[in-house]
Amino acid sequence: MKVTSLYNKGVFVVTGEVGPVKGAVSRDKNIDPSCSKEARFLQDYVHAVNVTDNQSAVMRLGSLAASIGLKERGIEPIYQLTCRDRNRIALQSDILTAYSLGIDNVLLLTGDHIQLGDHKEAKPVFDLDSVQLIHMAMGLRNGKDIAGNSIENPPDMAYGAVVNPNFVPLELQLMKMKKKVDAGAEFFQSQAVYDADLLERFMEKAAPFGAPVQAGVVVLKSPLMGKFMNENVSGIQVPQSWIDEIASVNKLDRRKKAVEMTARFIRSIKHLVQGVHIMPLGWTDIVPEILKQAEIDIRQSAFNWRLA
Amino acid sequence: MHATIQKPIEEIIRHIQPEEKVFVVGCNNCAWKCHSGGEEETKAMARRLIERDIAVVGYTVPGPQGMSLCKLDHTRKVLQKDYADQTAQADSFLVLGCGQGVHTVIDATDGGMVHPGCDTIFGGETISESDIQEFCSLCGECVIEYTGGLCPMTLCSKQLLNGPCGGAENGYCEVDKERPCGWVLIYERLKKLGRLDLLEPYQKPKNHARWSRPRTLKVSPHEATFCSQAGKVTVNNQI
Repeated sequence: MKVTSLYNKGVFVVTGEVGPVKGAVSRDKNIDPSCSKEARFLQDYVHAVNVTDNQSAVMRLGSLAASIGLKERGIEPIYQLTCRDRNRIALQSDILTAYSLGIDNVLLLTGDHIQLGDHKEAKPVFDLDSVQLIHMAMGLRNGKDIAGNSIENPPDMAYGAVVNPNFVPLELQLMKMKKKVDAGAEFFQSQAVYDADLLERFMEKAAPFGAPVQAGVVVLKSPLMGKFMNENVSGIQVPQSWIDEIASVNKLDRRKKAVEMTARFIRSIKHLVQGVHIMPLGWTDIVPEILKQAEIDIRQSAFNWRLA
Repeated sequence: MHATIQKPIEEIIRHIQPEEKVFVVGCNNCAWKCHSGGEEETKAMARRLIERDIAVVGYTVPGPQGMSLCKLDHTRKVLQKDYADQTAQADSFLVLGCGQGVHTVIDATDGGMVHPGCDTIFGGETISESDIQEFCSLCGECVIEYTGGLCPMTLCSKQLLNGPCGGAENGYCEVDKERPCGWVLIYERLKKLGRLDLLEPYQKPKNHARWSRPRTLKVSPHEATFCSQAGKVTVNNQI
């Protein structure tokens, strides 16, 4: 099921995110990999779940295998595909493979640099950038590979892209976003934002492009995590006020506090965007309560979507 | 210029066999500027090898300061005529220069055994006597017309052609927080020049075949032919 059909109906789209396991999936079908367990928590509360592609350049189970795993369990995956580890042959082949295996949604992105991960001596590929990747994916949908050759049974999937509202200078990020829209990106998921005013200023500029945007929300679990993200995670700045607020309660109460803070933030921004993309970083179990407190209930729209 | 740094002496001598007679060759252009293979470093290398009981039969830096080792005819004359007695005794040549210089010595000695004494690290601009920086990746297909002359293939860690990734923070690259994001540099330069419009068109994927190796260039006063896996490209030199 394509998430674009939700946007077309004006549904507020909620997605979650899981990272594939560091290792293989057990051949014993009764043993669920941890990413599937996490996704199960989300299943009834989100429309779809992103599956990251060797996130932060840390080598893991392939995002396609994990996406198929979710699909088999009745969870709609958004398969993330990055330019970091694949040239244009591999990217196209993986897009064809994904469609052939039943994937309906692909998020096309550049990918974190190898220097951020656990295989720092690997050769970075970056044969294409994300704009060129979207162009190429649209070419496949239209029956042509990037070299201009005709292909059989062109894949038909929803193509998403990413954007970072925190980027300075924003004008430069918007120029790239415009190129992605022109290339064929049908929806956007944003990098994590913690500042409603910043998001509002971003959406004033981005809305005219006409593509739906989901605001990225990363659950802040502890003051230490905020500090770590500010120092190590590219493109995200956690404000001191958030760090102070999560630090204001003891460890046992942090889940509750994280729910309260995240829900309050989502409530304050949901009128600005066409959806939210929640990255719970392992705390998938609190997502239902976040959405409840944020006054977002997707169950009916998800039911209708799955039925269609 | 080709920037080089010397390999550690322990690594160099590990590859020299017992009783092997070595002739040391420096380069009086790029390696001289990098202090990795000019006259002083070449002489010092000969002394350091002798101190470690390596049989050094001679050393030279062909040509005056500013002349490159990779000028084959001159290097051949120096090694085969000016230093004929010493090079005739040599089992091998330790080259303090870039990889092109090492190959020049192979050609200049009609196939002599060589040892690289340096790592060739990049092609750079000599900003000052103490500062060499990389601005070109020698990719074979120049894209800097629309970036105000700043190369995204070199200044962007991901070699992106259509703008920045989302990873930069405060104008610095996600890979190295002390290095400016190449795309922010491009943006600021074009903004200053009043030419941000140059960034708007979509840039197609690069033809990496022009970056295939090895590549050749045949030149005459009238024309130049560049040969890569992308095929032959001949241009007329209008003089």
